[in-house]
Amino acid sequence: MNGGQKSSMTAAVSKYALLLIALVLFVGPLVWLLSTMMKTKAETYKVPPTIFPEQMNFEAFERLFAVQPMMWQWIQNSFAISFFVALGAVVSSSIVAYGFSRFATKYRDKLFPIVLLTLMIPPSIMMIPSYVLFAKLGWIDTWLPLIVPAWLGGAYYIFLFRQFFLTIPQELDEATYLDGGNRWTVYARVIMPLSKPIIITTIIFAFVNSWLDFLGPFLYIKNNELFTLSVGLQLLIGQTSQDFPALAAGAFISIIPIGLLYFFAQRYIVEGVVLTGSKG
Amino acid sequence: MMNSLRKYDTLLFFLFIMPWIIGFTIFFLIPFGTSVFYAFTDAKLPGAVNYNFVGFDNFIHMIDDPIFLKSLLNTMYFVVFGVPIVTAGMLVLAMLLNFNVKGIALFRTFYYLPTLVPIVATVIIWRLVFNAEFGILNAGLGLLGFDKTDWLGSEHTIKPVIILLQVWISGSGVLIFLAALKNVPRHLYEAAEIDGAAGVRKFLAITLPMISPSILFVIIIQTMYNFQMFTEALLLSKGGPNYAAYTFVYNIYKSAFTDLKFSMAMSQSIFLFALISLVTFVLMKISNRFVYYEGER
Repeated sequence: MNGGQKSSMTAAVSKYALLLIALVLFVGPLVWLLSTMMKTKAETYKVPPTIFPEQMNFEAFERLFAVQPMMWQWIQNSFAISFFVALGAVVSSSIVAYGFSRFATKYRDKLFPIVLLTLMIPPSIMMIPSYVLFAKLGWIDTWLPLIVPAWLGGAYYIFLFRQFFLTIPQELDEATYLDGGNRWTVYARVIMPLSKPIIITTIIFAFVNSWLDFLGPFLYIKNNELFTLSVGLQLLIGQTSQDFPALAAGAFISIIPIGLLYFFAQRYIVEGVVLTGSKG
Repeated sequence: MMNSLRKYDTLLFFLFIMPWIIGFTIFFLIPFGTSVFYAFTDAKLPGAVNYNFVGFDNFIHMIDDPIFLKSLLNTMYFVVFGVPIVTAGMLVLAMLLNFNVKGIALFRTFYYLPTLVPIVATVIIWRLVFNAEFGILNAGLGLLGFDKTDWLGSEHTIKPVIILLQVWISGSGVLIFLAALKNVPRHLYEAAEIDGAAGVRKFLAITLPMISPSILFVIIIQTMYNFQMFTEALLLSKGGPNYAAYTFVYNIYKSAFTDLKFSMAMSQSIFLFALISLVTFVLMKISNRFVYYEGER
């Protein structure tokens, strides 16, 4: 009996030991970022490096905004783009998903596999062709290539909404028809009000993915007034490669909104990742 | 009467899915079609008016470029070594996070954080950690008596460092494995324990087969990701010392935007597409033998 307790104790201790080792590897780099960000420029050149800054100071942020006055603009741009992307994803994908879940037509079963197929197409082979298209449309150096596609139905979100709609009983639709409702009333008054969890998941996911996107804005936007924070930071890496605290401060700023969102909406992000297998 | 009602309903169906039809046509069909078209021309710029059809010339002359070959080999390196390492890393982490100990939820939260870091910020962090002179990694290794290594500046270390970066941001795959591990029925383990099976044996005989669909899924996602890797290589080392981190997609990007050979870039994209399709197909075929679906039989 006593021996059994002892061995389960050892098991627990070794489990914690393993978890802690992994924790150091995964959180260590983030701690190093925080530490660098609060150092003076001179302290970053110290050998061996200090983990805890000698004196916490936040001058790096002042230097960052002094070197790059556009920082504020970029932060606002990222918020604006991500906001419109999230809004578009919910509106368009839910409407399309309603079509794919509530209409008994033969076209539905022919077209839906194509929606799923587009999920399998590697985005990078569309990189140059899309660029050509946006160039012809005159959309280069605008936010349109980043926002408009989100308003025309994203395959992931259509899939998610459809899965959810299929769990809502058809009887509710029929009751609405008896009350004189039509297809649109069913969508707007019955289905959508019942779909809050999936709406929230989609908003968060679309927002996060848009915030994390680098390739899109990097390719399509050249005017630095229109940059997103990611592309701005990339410019900064070139400009202030020796001012480590300022660089760290910039990276920190780009992490904060997503970190806060994760803190408050962890459940939805985790569910979303498991459902779609995509990057959050 | 019934018939016209049905027709009206079909019309409504198309109205509802119209956003997707428009999006699919404009952002998928048209670009894909034009890219196939341009791949067989010698067009230099997007929307070029003067171009000739050159048949399969672009595809034949692709390999004339030594950097193209190098980028192909580099990408294969990331697929052949990176995918198994990253997938195994995800699985190990998922198993750690599946421990039934107090405070495990907090650990899960922390491990997922790096996945939420924008890639540019990740690169900044990586540059701080792996910096040859002032990085924390060399400082730590120095305490253990190792010499300084120029991680990002050496041909030999840049690719492993990029693979390590992928492990660091692998939280999504870890979550998928964690969900799969939680779905393995407990009674299978209990039965195995009664039969006297222990740790490794239980893992090989029960855990692995039961989560094999998730493993296949993660491997395919990870393979597609590695074939298309671009940002890490670009930002971490601008393609690396002596083109050591020059990936295939980075080469496509260069063909299009630096060398202004759009048609060549399109041909390379199509080549990549064919390659990814082939590898995915082979993976699916091979996996038929190993993946266990509970619904089957």
